[in-house]
Amino acid sequence: MVVLAVAATQTLLRPAWADETADEISSLKKQIEALDQKVRILERKQELEQEATAERAKTAPLVSAGVSGFSISSADTNFVLRLRGGLQADGRFYAGESTAKDTFLLRRVRPIIEGTVYGKFDYRLMFDFASGVSLSAANNSSILDAYGDLRLYPEFNIRVGKFKAPVGLERLQSWNNLLFIERGFPTQLLPNRDAGIMLHGALFDGLFNYQAGAFNGTPDGGSSDFDTSDSDKDFAARLFTLPFKQSSASALRGLGLGIAGTLGEQDRTPRAYTTHGSQRFFGYRSSTDATKPNSLGDGTQWRLSPQAYWYWGPFGLLGEYAISSQETRQAGGGAGAGSRATLQNTAWQVEASYFLSGEQNSYKAVSPRRPFTIGGAGWGALEFTARVGELDPDDDAFPVFADPTTSAAKAFSWGLGFNWHLNRFFKLTFNYENTDLRGFDNRYTGIEREDVFLTRLQVTY
Amino acid sequence: MKRSLLRLFVAWIGLLALLLVPLVEAKDITLLNVSYDPTRELYVDFNAAFAKHWKEKTGDTLTIQQSHGGSGKQARAVIDGLSADVVTLALAYDIDAIAEKGRLLPKDWQQRLPHNSSPYTSTIVFLVRKGNPKAVRDWDDLVKPGLSVITPNPKTSGGARWNYLAAWAFAEQKFSNDEAKIRDFLAKLFKNVPVLDTGARGSTTTFVQRGIGDVFISWENEAFLAIKEYGADKFEIVAPSLSILAEPPVTWVDRVVKKRGTETVTKAYLEYLYTPEGQEIAARNFYRPRLPEVAKKHENQFTKLKLVTIDEAFGGWQKAQPLHFGEGGVFDQISRANR
Repeated sequence: MVVLAVAATQTLLRPAWADETADEISSLKKQIEALDQKVRILERKQELEQEATAERAKTAPLVSAGVSGFSISSADTNFVLRLRGGLQADGRFYAGESTAKDTFLLRRVRPIIEGTVYGKFDYRLMFDFASGVSLSAANNSSILDAYGDLRLYPEFNIRVGKFKAPVGLERLQSWNNLLFIERGFPTQLLPNRDAGIMLHGALFDGLFNYQAGAFNGTPDGGSSDFDTSDSDKDFAARLFTLPFKQSSASALRGLGLGIAGTLGEQDRTPRAYTTHGSQRFFGYRSSTDATKPNSLGDGTQWRLSPQAYWYWGPFGLLGEYAISSQETRQAGGGAGAGSRATLQNTAWQVEASYFLSGEQNSYKAVSPRRPFTIGGAGWGALEFTARVGELDPDDDAFPVFADPTTSAAKAFSWGLGFNWHLNRFFKLTFNYENTDLRGFDNRYTGIEREDVFLTRLQVTY
Repeated sequence: MKRSLLRLFVAWIGLLALLLVPLVEAKDITLLNVSYDPTRELYVDFNAAFAKHWKEKTGDTLTIQQSHGGSGKQARAVIDGLSADVVTLALAYDIDAIAEKGRLLPKDWQQRLPHNSSPYTSTIVFLVRKGNPKAVRDWDDLVKPGLSVITPNPKTSGGARWNYLAAWAFAEQKFSNDEAKIRDFLAKLFKNVPVLDTGARGSTTTFVQRGIGDVFISWENEAFLAIKEYGADKFEIVAPSLSILAEPPVTWVDRVVKKRGTETVTKAYLEYLYTPEGQEIAARNFYRPRLPEVAKKHENQFTKLKLVTIDEAFGGWQKAQPLHFGEGGVFDQISRANR
């Protein structure tokens, strides 16, 4: 009874605000619970989004653009595409007796698409849209490289398509790493690009590099990607060694020696030869008029090219010799019609370079130690160059196969140059080239000397 | 003398051969089992048991790697090239997709093992907080405003598709096949879903570990596992008035096993699921066994439910999947309307 009375009293005496407070507390609790749920939901959604993002990242392609170029790769790197390219804007300024006109020109405009599939299959497409690039039945000169490379082992790889024939040392040097604006005389006797199949590899940890392949075959200095003139194929092979690659003598480590050659059948018009200022100084007689002389390759053609380079610190030296032997026939009319001869043209060059700024010289690209920046301390890489060379067409070409009045019998050239590598991507080049031309006999009426200043702005990426 | 020596020699050679043959032939074999989300614990136990059995039988050392995820996602991964020796997914349709789109196994795969290649079954129940504070009794309660429901995404999770179809079957019965009302029912249910995980295990994490939601529409085995792991003082199971008989199927992937030379061992692996030991392991992991004696032994462990089958209620997966879960299907329409 007492307890009941006390409870009743407590209830009666309980203030109204106590019930309101309890209700408020209950309501607040519910609000807190609801807010707590909302926060948890948001956190969980964020967690799931992060998981989904991480999952997507596993398959998302990788895109990069930087000093190594622009590339796209699948997440598993099984599919890689690289976009590169470059251009060379030249100037040619003639002094003295040259008949050529001063000109600016786009020497090379080259977009490059290359890549790798499944880590073992490389591909490369390089185009050229520069001035003077032309199409012919035998060669689409807008497509320079178009090949696939199967990299099976370091010692054994297979390349198929259109690419540089493995012969000339300076020809094999990349177009953006040349010492001089125009390649030297030996390159004009050796094949440029050709369509075919080649085995290549590095032996004994790169001590020896070999290439051997079968190609359609091209005239001297020429390119080809389609040959229906005959079913004969040219064989080209090259062996190059760095004999002191592992030597403790640093002066010898940069020495490379090689020999290359081709053997095949050619029945096309042999190509003309030009000076470093791109003036034609020797050409074979050719005409579509059946009554006039027309010199054609007709039979075996072989070439041989011993070659070497040496790089030691900032100093570099490159030399090569080339001999091109071609069975030739006077297929037209006029004097010497039907005559045949094996003509052997020879060429050699030696070129030297020195980095005043102390960079390590190389056959490949050189990056300035201190790239040039406006207002900065770096001046880029400063490189002096010099070369001497000669191209000597076979005297037996005169007068049946080559006109002694318009074709010189020998060209001897020397040149000086300066390369300013502002950074990895920009290079300025200045060349002075002097070429003396000697006729076969006193009937020669062509230019006897070429003095030319050549300039180049090169951008590569 | 010579004959006895010869016999002795032959006997020695025979004994040597018996001893050497297992040594010579013993191999290390690896299998990949691509499974749906909640079967992790089941296959940890089962794989250990089968590997032991296989070692004793053949001498080969077997390693079984597991991949788990939403059933639909897993099927797509296999179609896209994941080299699964076996697939143990949540529903037959996902394996049908591997057969049809991936062409990795024949279309009649389901006839190769007993019970339409489903060695165990499961169903869908509700997991709620201890004490059932929101008084969830049946599917009706899941559509009440303010109730938070956890279920995975039917576009990726097989379990979620069983959940959805169980809810649909209930609504069909409740609304006497009035499709507009059934759709409205499902729309309200999914409106109450704050987070859609890609798989059943993700939803378990959401409900059990992250403390989100009032009720989790769950695989039966997943609900029991949550109680076992987190304590019967935290959660309890509510059996709805109607649910669906889920028959997760298993099969080997013909193109992969032929290429990898694992045909014999994968068939034995899946057949082992039907043995008494395999069925015991299933029951211990809260899957409903097929073998009558094992089912009888564990019958009190499982909730008594009225179950419909996919064939009875929906005409099979070939009809249900495109209608409800295909691009632009009913679930997509409901989701769009709910935005």
